[in-house]
Amino acid sequence: MADDEIPSDSSTLVIIVDTNPNQRYITEDPKILTGCLDAVIAFANSHLMQKSRNELAVIGCHFHKSEYLYPSPGKPLDVRQIDGQYELFTLVEKTVKMRLVNLIKSQPQEEKPGESLLAGALAMGLCFISKVRREASPALKISSRILIVTGSSDTAAQYINYMNVFFTAQKQQVLIDVCSLDKHLSLLQQGCDITGGLYLKVPTLEGLLQYLLWVFLPEGSERKQLVLPGRGRVDYRAACFCHRELLTIGYVCSVCLSVFCKFSPICTTCHTVFKIGGPLPIKPKKKKMKV
Amino acid sequence: MSESSKFKSSNLNATPTLQCKDLHEYLKSRSSQFLENLYNYPTICLAVYRELPELARHFIIRLLFVEQPVPQAVVASWVTQTHAKEQNKACEALSELSVWHEAPIPGGLPGWLLAQSFKKNLKVALLGGGRPWSMSQTLEPDGKARDITFLDAYALERWECVLHYMVGSQQTEGISADAVRILLHAGLMTRDAEDGSAVITKAGFQFLLLSTAKQVWLFLQHYLQTAEKRNLSSAECLAFLYQLSFSTLGKDYSTEGMSNNMLVFLQHLREFGLVYQRKRKAGRFYPTRLALNITCVRDGVAPLEAKRTQGYIVVESNYRLYGYTQSTLQVALLGLFTELMYRFPNLVVGVITRESVRQAFRGGISAEQIIKFLEQHSHPQMLKTESGGIRTTSVLPPTVVDQIRLWESERNRFTYTEGVVYNQFLSQADFVVLRDYARAQGVLSWQNERTRTMVVTRSGHDDVKKFWKRYSKSS
Repeated sequence: MADDEIPSDSSTLVIIVDTNPNQRYITEDPKILTGCLDAVIAFANSHLMQKSRNELAVIGCHFHKSEYLYPSPGKPLDVRQIDGQYELFTLVEKTVKMRLVNLIKSQPQEEKPGESLLAGALAMGLCFISKVRREASPALKISSRILIVTGSSDTAAQYINYMNVFFTAQKQQVLIDVCSLDKHLSLLQQGCDITGGLYLKVPTLEGLLQYLLWVFLPEGSERKQLVLPGRGRVDYRAACFCHRELLTIGYVCSVCLSVFCKFSPICTTCHTVFKIGGPLPIKPKKKKMKV
Repeated sequence: MSESSKFKSSNLNATPTLQCKDLHEYLKSRSSQFLENLYNYPTICLAVYRELPELARHFIIRLLFVEQPVPQAVVASWVTQTHAKEQNKACEALSELSVWHEAPIPGGLPGWLLAQSFKKNLKVALLGGGRPWSMSQTLEPDGKARDITFLDAYALERWECVLHYMVGSQQTEGISADAVRILLHAGLMTRDAEDGSAVITKAGFQFLLLSTAKQVWLFLQHYLQTAEKRNLSSAECLAFLYQLSFSTLGKDYSTEGMSNNMLVFLQHLREFGLVYQRKRKAGRFYPTRLALNITCVRDGVAPLEAKRTQGYIVVESNYRLYGYTQSTLQVALLGLFTELMYRFPNLVVGVITRESVRQAFRGGISAEQIIKFLEQHSHPQMLKTESGGIRTTSVLPPTVVDQIRLWESERNRFTYTEGVVYNQFLSQADFVVLRDYARAQGVLSWQNERTRTMVVTRSGHDDVKKFWKRYSKSS
């Protein structure tokens, strides 16, 4: 939803790569991660190739933390050209691979892998974008977007975090694109819909690079000109704040709009006490609201 | 009656305007064979790719991994109906630069196929493979590495040397015969008729008012044109230039493996400040920001400027101009269109007068160029002051801006229209009839009843002639 008509001078892309080892495609064949990573890196480099002032960040998202894979904090690696590849592209590839190894090595051994911290990684991406915007000269038109490449399923546990990030992104005019490698992700699809980004579930992991280049490489202003997969129907179910379950009908706090699956006399989010007029059993009918 | 002396409206605004082509236009004017040769260099492919329109870039990316021709109808279907115009433009650009060419597909339909060398080398640049651009991986760390601030200062100093020479400042020791030859070739300077010394031309003055990135690019374009005479292949030079523009600022690169010709070229670039070398035989060089900005000459793309040297010009609404500068170049530039009054160690005071501005106009400088120059270099203080409550887009006082424009339009009091003269009418009546007819048609430019002369516009000539034939026959 950025300023669509005018092509931008520079575009910022943040790629969030889910590296959680309990994704199904990785547990089936761990080597496939390398292939996916290569596709993502080639895609990242194609983004840098578009314009000389394009910015890039790659964030690795693991189950214990998220970390920048590129640009590396501190001094950039000293990379020399080894073949005909553009030096900057070599730097991206080397940095991402090296830092990803460090990230995976740093994972706690004793813990069982949990859920990927995608919402946190998204927040990091937004921070990076606002930093780029702050540092750029005000005359420069910058369009920004975040691409999530993930094979894990989205659980409602991070529902609130997701929504906060999505609406922040909407306000900041940042598109959120999602490329799902495995399952249908209804929550993240909502994010795409809210921010005006694209959602794609790739049918097969072979040719991942082609999917990425075709669908996700054009920036916001260019997407109008191209024929791209449509939005489709979006599942807008919300998760309740008490048990993190998706519901179609529930209770909504009239003060803070928190969603609950069961009635409680005190809102757990804003501590509002609801006056109970009349006997309790008939409550459910009165307070029923569609979400 | 006879109609005679067709006025030819030649371009009477004969002051040549300086052409600054971007890479796309430069390549377009070259033969396709030359282009094919160029696409053997991954650097050029990368540069050409970035110069293309957005849609064209996506076409290439989508075709990059396709080996056989793709039907034109398929390519067209990638774009929404409402943007057919952009699509045509993109296809045209790709054909113009021989990035792709038509190839029939088995069914007989017309298809597009990317040029083999372009595809191969763009893939190399993007994904790796092939040979490295320079032999830099064997380079040992430089004991006396230079940082970015040093390189910026060096580049600026070298480039200003060239500009200084052009305005005829006294510092002429820093410039070689080669650079002078290029300036002469480019028509930016010319040999003085009397003593053979180089003097600046009108185009040269316009050149001085361009932004640095544009100046460098224009200069290099002329350099490449003269390159052949020096036994340098211009394709090779262009590839090397773009290799420089895709390098990292503040990093050293090895000269090993470079041909003798390229080493000569490197020395020239060193002279203009595009690369820094400690010694001629140092075996390594540092590209500077001037070289990196070659890819940013297109309009609207702001170059990657260093933390800008701050503006130094204050213009007041009473046409006074203060330039806080010590550089003789900047003073000379101001002198192009102002009458300088006082000179202090760090300040020059001048006044913008009708005469001084007209002097500049005669030199082929346009009002727009002057205003742009003043805006670009205006002192930070100027940005703060509000111009008497009037919000204008410019930081300059509106009176000054308007007056400079008026002075320019003052020179353009003539408007030229093509026309045909009708004279030697036999009777006054004939003249009046034809004049009134022409007037009614709205094609009469001028008439004089006493001399029985009238001028009809070019487009109206046929019509009036026909009318005259009919009229003279009937009477």
